[in-house]
Amino acid sequence: MSLIETKGLRKVFRQAVKEPGLAGAVKHLFTQRYRDKSAVEGIDLTIEEGETVAYVGPNGAGKSTTIKMLSGVLVPSGGEIRVDGLVPHKQRMENAQRIGAVFGQRTQLWWDIPVRESLGLLRDIYQVPPETFKRNMDAFTELLGMEDFLHLSARKLSLGQRMRADLAAALLHDPKIVYLDEPTIGLDVAVKHRIRDFIKEMNRNKGTTMLLTTHDLGDIEDLCERLIIIDQGRIIYDGKLREVKDAFARERTIHMQLSSPIPEAESLFRDLPDVRVVRPAEDQGASSLSVRFDRFRCTASDIVKRLMNRGEVVDFRIDEPSIEEIIRRVYEGQLDSESLLLAGRGSA
Amino acid sequence: MKKYVSLALCSMQNTLAYRLSFILNFVANFIGLIAMYCLWQAIYTGRAELSGFTWGQMQSYLLITFFVNSMLSYYSESSITNKIIDGSVMMDLLRPIQFQKARLAESLGSCVLEGLLSCLLIGLAAVFTLGIQLPNDAATLLLFLFSMASSILVKFGIVYLSALLCFWTTSGFGIYWARTSITNLLSGALVPLAFFPSWLQSTAMLLPFQGIVNTPVTIGLGMTEGIEALRLIGIQWVWIVLLWLLGKWMWSGAVRQITIHGG
Repeated sequence: MSLIETKGLRKVFRQAVKEPGLAGAVKHLFTQRYRDKSAVEGIDLTIEEGETVAYVGPNGAGKSTTIKMLSGVLVPSGGEIRVDGLVPHKQRMENAQRIGAVFGQRTQLWWDIPVRESLGLLRDIYQVPPETFKRNMDAFTELLGMEDFLHLSARKLSLGQRMRADLAAALLHDPKIVYLDEPTIGLDVAVKHRIRDFIKEMNRNKGTTMLLTTHDLGDIEDLCERLIIIDQGRIIYDGKLREVKDAFARERTIHMQLSSPIPEAESLFRDLPDVRVVRPAEDQGASSLSVRFDRFRCTASDIVKRLMNRGEVVDFRIDEPSIEEIIRRVYEGQLDSESLLLAGRGSA
Repeated sequence: MKKYVSLALCSMQNTLAYRLSFILNFVANFIGLIAMYCLWQAIYTGRAELSGFTWGQMQSYLLITFFVNSMLSYYSESSITNKIIDGSVMMDLLRPIQFQKARLAESLGSCVLEGLLSCLLIGLAAVFTLGIQLPNDAATLLLFLFSMASSILVKFGIVYLSALLCFWTTSGFGIYWARTSITNLLSGALVPLAFFPSWLQSTAMLLPFQGIVNTPVTIGLGMTEGIEALRLIGIQWVWIVLLWLLGKWMWSGAVRQITIHGG
């Protein structure tokens, strides 16, 4: 059995409908009307031990709701859910013992006592053996650079420090699974790096399974092999990060530096489909040139060969669209979900 | 068990972190005590006894009431309601701890400090007044101390239940005020239950609130003795168990209800 399994997982929230203005507010006192808002509708997930999975989607897509159901904080409205053989909301205590969670917007540290004490309290709550506690504390303090602020209370920490302390708090008891809900939100580049390295390290050395939601595409590329995209409570893509790129990032751009300008370079590619020549606006001397093409319709070597026949190429590089570009297009509905699903299935 | 002890210790530490507001809160209550003292003093002028209370007994009554009321102060109560209102209850759900036990542990943790501080103030007050009348015989003293400790648990039961109401109201202050005024009236904190008209007195005796003030005070003043005192303590414990179970039941209902904001 897989470590995390859900089938047809659903969550419906009940929202109060209030009519506008004072009259509406008064009316609401007597007659309450509710509307069902579906946050997650029918999610099938299978995650194996040791995987690092990015769970992405636009705001309000249902990411956090899924994570809250997996961690036992929210009770699902329907469907099945098993985490390490347990039903999280029914066996909340047992499940809590095996998982760790970081919710970027909230802290699990005690606000008014030093970080060191907070971690000590968590040691007692999770009944971490003393040797494990010491080993983890030493390792985390070094990896996350926590030495400077262990003696401060959580309210005095900067966001970056707090997030590092929260990560340490979530991993202190060597959980099998860690849920990270936007772990790098609002952090500077250096701290982000530190956190990503830490997550990678934990995954590699302890085999901790990680499920992370993020809006930071750097997190995804750096940490995850598998990508799950959800939108409006449904999974629209589930597969390898590599494959979504292959399927949707067909376009490549070759940038070339030429020893002398090649006039009418466009004519060279007249017989190739979907090839466009772009000249950088600032370089009117045209000793540099970019060619955009579909890598499934012609090859990079073909393009470079044709140009090399006409002049000397001093230097060149190839760009592929970033994952950011692809996900943006998915969010904006430019890539339809059917073809995405097909791409996902092709990978399975 | 150890985890709850650690939570209690942490809560003490937390209380110390807010020592200034904690002490100010105390001082405010103490000023209230002085006002009550002056009021009753005026009422007792020219009278030896009122509804079976002598002026000396009334002074002890005020001091014991102050002590009992200082336990589980606004401070611990608001920390439970705030957890529910700001949604940090979610962080508690993520941990292998039981919400109710954890809150009890934290409340008892701050009770230790609250108890120490009020003992200090009461000692101070006792020096300036007639002093405090404590039971003469060891058995009654023991019963008195035990009923005091039990009264904290009764109060916790009530405070916890009213705090859980915040799951449905999304605001805690109104509930706090309602809870306080009902408790003050029906526990005997404002006026001894003996002063009530008989119908109100018998109603109050059927409710849990009397276990907070009336039971320890009447035992401490020697107004109830022996079997009767044991009976009152027994009633306290019936309420402690009932309120605990009710809290458990309400919590499981509330958990189904939660739709933590920002999901």
